[in-house]
Amino acid sequence: MSLLDEIEPLKAAALAELRAAPDIAALEQAKGQWLGAHGKFTALLKQLSALPKEDKPAAGKALNAAKLELEAALSQCRADVELKAALPQEPTDFTLPGRRRVLGSLHPLTQVTEDIVRSFRKLGFAVADGPEVEDEYHCFDALNTPADHPARDTQDTFYLRSPGGAAPLLLRTHTSSVQIRVMEKQRPPVRILVPGRVYRRDNADATHNPAFHQVEGLYVDHDVTVGDLKGTVEFVFKELMGPETRIRFRPHYFSYTEPSFEIDFSSSLTRKMGKEWLEIAGCGMVHPQVFENVGYDPEAWTGWAFGFGIERIAMIRYGINDIRLFYENDIRFLGQF
Amino acid sequence: MKVTLNWLKQYVEFDWTPEQLAERLTMLGLEVEGLQKLGGEFQGVVVAQVITRDKHPNADKLSLCRVQDGKGERQIVCGAHNFKAGDKVPLILPGATLPAKPGEAPVTIKVGKIRGCESQGMLCSPQELGLEGGKEGLLILREDAQVGQAFAEYLGRGESDVVLDLEITPNRPDLNSVIGIAREIAAVTGNRLKMPEVGDQRSEVRGQRSDTVLVRLEEPELCPRYTARLIRGVKIAPSPAWLATMLEKIGVRSINNVVDVTNYVMLETGQPLHAFDCQLLARGNHGLPTVVVRRAAEGEKFITLDGQERTLTSRMLLIADESKAVALAGVMGGHNSEINLNTGEVLLESAYFNPQNVRATSKKLDLRSESSYRFERGADIGLCAWASSRAVDLICQTAGGAPAGPLVEAYPSPAQPKQIPLRHTKVNELLGLELSPEQIEAYLAQLELKVVNRKPRPVEAAPGPIEPVTIRIPTFRVDLKREIDLVEEVARLYGVERIPASAPRGALGLNDFDAVHDQIAEARALLAGLGLDEAQGQTLISEAAAQLVAGAEVVALANPLSSDMNVLRPSLLPGLLDALRHNLNHKNYDVALFELGRVFLPPAAGQGTGAGPAGGARPLEERRVAIALTGRRHPLFWTGEEREARFDIYDLKGLLEEFLERFGVRGVTYNRRSEGTPLLLESALVQLGRLPLGSLGQLQPSIARRYDLRDAVLLAELNLDILLARRNSAKTFRAVPVLPPIRRDVAMLVPEATTHEAVLQVVRQAKPANLESVELFDIFRGKNMPAGQKSMAYAFTYRSAERTLTDAEATSAHEKLVEQFKQKLQATVRE
Repeated sequence: MSLLDEIEPLKAAALAELRAAPDIAALEQAKGQWLGAHGKFTALLKQLSALPKEDKPAAGKALNAAKLELEAALSQCRADVELKAALPQEPTDFTLPGRRRVLGSLHPLTQVTEDIVRSFRKLGFAVADGPEVEDEYHCFDALNTPADHPARDTQDTFYLRSPGGAAPLLLRTHTSSVQIRVMEKQRPPVRILVPGRVYRRDNADATHNPAFHQVEGLYVDHDVTVGDLKGTVEFVFKELMGPETRIRFRPHYFSYTEPSFEIDFSSSLTRKMGKEWLEIAGCGMVHPQVFENVGYDPEAWTGWAFGFGIERIAMIRYGINDIRLFYENDIRFLGQF
Repeated sequence: MKVTLNWLKQYVEFDWTPEQLAERLTMLGLEVEGLQKLGGEFQGVVVAQVITRDKHPNADKLSLCRVQDGKGERQIVCGAHNFKAGDKVPLILPGATLPAKPGEAPVTIKVGKIRGCESQGMLCSPQELGLEGGKEGLLILREDAQVGQAFAEYLGRGESDVVLDLEITPNRPDLNSVIGIAREIAAVTGNRLKMPEVGDQRSEVRGQRSDTVLVRLEEPELCPRYTARLIRGVKIAPSPAWLATMLEKIGVRSINNVVDVTNYVMLETGQPLHAFDCQLLARGNHGLPTVVVRRAAEGEKFITLDGQERTLTSRMLLIADESKAVALAGVMGGHNSEINLNTGEVLLESAYFNPQNVRATSKKLDLRSESSYRFERGADIGLCAWASSRAVDLICQTAGGAPAGPLVEAYPSPAQPKQIPLRHTKVNELLGLELSPEQIEAYLAQLELKVVNRKPRPVEAAPGPIEPVTIRIPTFRVDLKREIDLVEEVARLYGVERIPASAPRGALGLNDFDAVHDQIAEARALLAGLGLDEAQGQTLISEAAAQLVAGAEVVALANPLSSDMNVLRPSLLPGLLDALRHNLNHKNYDVALFELGRVFLPPAAGQGTGAGPAGGARPLEERRVAIALTGRRHPLFWTGEEREARFDIYDLKGLLEEFLERFGVRGVTYNRRSEGTPLLLESALVQLGRLPLGSLGQLQPSIARRYDLRDAVLLAELNLDILLARRNSAKTFRAVPVLPPIRRDVAMLVPEATTHEAVLQVVRQAKPANLESVELFDIFRGKNMPAGQKSMAYAFTYRSAERTLTDAEATSAHEKLVEQFKQKLQATVRE
């Protein structure tokens, strides 16, 4: 049998064996058996040099073609076997839950506060801060609250136990005390926003907690008008409560603003609660007496202030019915926001 | 303040619907909180008279009655016991429906048998009719009730009316009266305010004495004006229907004609009045009843109308006769001089009392009345005489009698109306409007605020700046004190809703805290990103909880609501423990929380950079960040891997390390405390250089039990103010290494007490050349090791930024380092 005749059967046998290999190890073994240094096909190649010169070209060509074919088949088989090996034994159930990396959540009051801060900052407000333990001057007197005003009662305000003789200290009942502290230190214009905790002496129930949060805005400049106040309030509440929110001002009374207004808002949220208008904030033009108290000239400067409760906004926005939920820190509650 | 639509219409004309009225008043600043329509009620309820009352033959607790309903007699079974034959009572006829109780379906009355006896209707209790009063017993009607009259008519509710409930702000005492509210409506509509005609004024007598009464005013400061009027020949009786009804509509109980008139006139005018039985007042030297306005003696006892004995102080003002106190001025009358069925002479007081004094007395005695409510907010000093005359008219009309002598008045320094200058420009500047001077003055005039000093302007005068004017303030407007208050009045009448909103504009805000706010927000975002939920704890906690962390030094409240909330938190940890307890009690076993918040420290014990102003005896306010972990480390996963792994101290430390590094705080050390603390079983002091930052550790098991916590609880708390001050969040680029590293591992046996920090210290001192990083990758303790030893395995990475290191270079540096370990740590290097 000539060399040429041996090529085809050998090739066929090699191909069959390669294709039959079930895994990579068997394939490598088959490769060694045929194409390795001592492999059967390699042995055939080695016979080429022994052929007569005139037979060499034809045999060489045939052998080369067969070798290429075998190598191609080998790499095909290798790819097939590798693919088979890579596939899991059972198909993956993509409906199984994954390994979750848990993110914590920010407290809903933080989120609402940040939303409020963001909308005020669009208008150029800077965040300011002040102490929660206050004196009567900054919490009441400087804000034009009469000495016998009921808000100052120990019924309504927490006072600190103090050594005899010392001026009484109290927990601030509103963030308005920070207005005074900022204006004492800073010349106008002033454009600040003050979020923070405040305290009223109310027993905890669904709508009260002794500590709660307020945010206060103050703007002092030349020629500030009621129209400016309305413009800003409308902007902020549309940002917070949605663009279809409507705002209404009602005359009211606060000692540190004149004129004073209460702000009602109306939106799908209030209608869901069965009300057209819902009271949401108080505001007004800074009382000239307050300006005089901090050494601003009320003839040169005018300004407005407004304030509202952060819990109230959060409760309306998310439909939360009990203020105590904010302070229980139940993770099933916190995780919803 | 409650007022009815029909009552308002007596003083001013308007043609608004009740809803429109409510809207207009609300937009004027008188918020309408409730609106209740009356009339059309009590269909099928009539006044009936009980003719006979007998025991029910088959039931001990029921009676069988014959009643006259005006058309005929009926048999009624009744379960009440408070009536007798002859009483007049409301009867609901079969087919009629009782008013529905909240949340219940209305009940329709049928003819039916009760224990075998037919009942043709039902006799009603006040509650069944939806009226004030009890459910026990029938509503017994006045004797003069007309049998057969519709019950609604008997109540005077035949005509329909609307009761408005208004929130009156404390600055507007003048609106605590029907006339005051009508005045606002008149101002808005431009219609005339119709004041009732007052017949006999005779107030020309301005002396303190007439030939019938003497007034001696000893405290003109506490009582700037006192008037008294004597009426003789009155007959005390139930009020006529119109009067009783009007009062009842707004929830005031009808008592008798004279008392009702005083209440009616107070509600009508805002002027509190008091009627004394003059025959019960002692006569003075002149034989005249004498009213003395004096201070109480310290400790003086006095029984008020409500039957309570009060102990007074010398700061309280009394109305007295020559021998005894008869009223607590402005607050409540006395038991000893009250109007009663035998009263024939009435002494009517109409006065003005100092608001602060009335408030102080009322507060001190915890005694509040409609009268004190009005006086402490400020009554109208100009109104005393008019209101007195109005009441005299109505008393004479309803109780007979006639005034004996003129009004006797003590009014040593009559109040002068205030005058306030007004610049028209100021109004427009503040409101952002362009109203003409005429418009502004017209609005004010509608509120009876009139210009008093206008100089006539020559016709040929050149147009110049508008002169300021002076506005005269009537005595009833105690709230108007300066120009800005007049601006508000213009805004109210013009209508706030008409002031155009202007687009936000103006100066940029600047405040030092602005950047701090963002840094705090950044800290929050990092901690939430690390898988912690943000908590917000109570500021007020119990002293016992505070002492877990602060020992005895806490900031306490002088007037706490309860012992659960009597101090300001000295730490965030008690609040977090409360949150853990709440969660575990609700079967949330795996909890990882953080809180950023303020704590309050007594001035002496405080440390660090508190947020509060320094100095004085003011507590320090310090911002803190705290973390609490308990329960499982990982969420449940279905392969079961690490299923039972619980949080341990290294979870907490890892959180702190990651947080602090990301927040830009470097050089933090953790120094184990040799002893436990009251709160923490084992803990470390966290320091930044020498500055104490806070602690981390594991909760004492005894406290964990107290808080119902089962798994280990890991707690950390750091001073956020220091972190904010010391953080360095500036970022600089370092070239990413491109040359290959060489790694050398060392596993060594060291004495058990050798800390990781000690190993690092050796490394830092040895300063091996080209050392890039050190990583601890294993700690092992085992049987095959000498006692008191542990194995620590470290990977050292060497790399040069300039050239490729050779093995020899790395080995040489590394061997020197290993030698140091052997020398300084008594380490045995495991090969």
